[in-house]
Amino acid sequence: MNPEPFLNLDRVIHEKGRLAIMSLLAASPQLLFTEIRDTLKMTDGNVTAHLRTLHEAGYVAFTKSMEAGRAATSYALTPTGRKAFASYLDLLEQIVEQTRKK
Amino acid sequence: MDSNWASDHLQTIRTLMERSAVYRRALAPVMLSSGFIGIAAAIVPCFKLIQSNRGFAAFWMSVGFVTLVTAYVLVRRQALREQEPFWSPPTRRVTEALLPPLIAGCAAGLFLVVFDHFVQRATWLLAASWLALYGCALNAASFFTPRGIKLFGRAFVFAGIALLFAWPLVPGDQTRAAHYVMGAAFGVLHVAYGGYLYFTERRRRA
Repeated sequence: MNPEPFLNLDRVIHEKGRLAIMSLLAASPQLLFTEIRDTLKMTDGNVTAHLRTLHEAGYVAFTKSMEAGRAATSYALTPTGRKAFASYLDLLEQIVEQTRKK
Repeated sequence: MDSNWASDHLQTIRTLMERSAVYRRALAPVMLSSGFIGIAAAIVPCFKLIQSNRGFAAFWMSVGFVTLVTAYVLVRRQALREQEPFWSPPTRRVTEALLPPLIAGCAAGLFLVVFDHFVQRATWLLAASWLALYGCALNAASFFTPRGIKLFGRAFVFAGIALLFAWPLVPGDQTRAAHYVMGAAFGVLHVAYGGYLYFTERRRRA
């Protein structure tokens, strides 16, 4: 089996929690912090840590707003993040394809 | 290297993306507005007699049209407020799911408008079939909405079927009774469900 696709997998995205967040954001224009947390049933600290990593990698952007008198933070994938996620999916599909051929 | 992890990963990603694409607009205002329009419409025949098949079908189809337009206006307002596109993939999916049973209901109504005198005393049957078809529409849309819609839709299906079989038992003026059924189902039930959603959706969003 050619290990190349596996070695090329983006390590930032590959982590389980971050992959889940990227998957959610890939299907929505933007999501509130609470929506991400509630959908994935993660703790505040976990979501914050993963979002910070994704933000530092340039994959996620955030906007702050006021909703019903309370501060709300929304997150969205950046174009770089969208591209990285698409590449990650391509590599996964290559790996699945290789496994099928074996 | 475990050979299945990549396909498991892809499956997880697909599931999460589908979950993220669930319709998230608040449904309480839509249900409440639909309910109030339904109740108001059911009061009209008390003052102006609408007795014929044609009159009944045309009147309630117009009410349905107004309700639908109002619902989409409310959804659009929500989308604008949240700076999101109105015609988003979830909105499109919900609309596509709703359409076939609604079109069937519309066709049944049009049939009575066009062939009014070929069928006698059909208003009760039309009301029953509209309830069942509307329930089917909600049930189909519920694959992309929170779970409550599925139960609400199924309640309409069962109510429609029950009314169908209750047809021979309805005494007296069936058209008047059919107006009341429409008001109770499309009015009162929607207001009740809208009220429930109003409080639960607010709590979920808080």
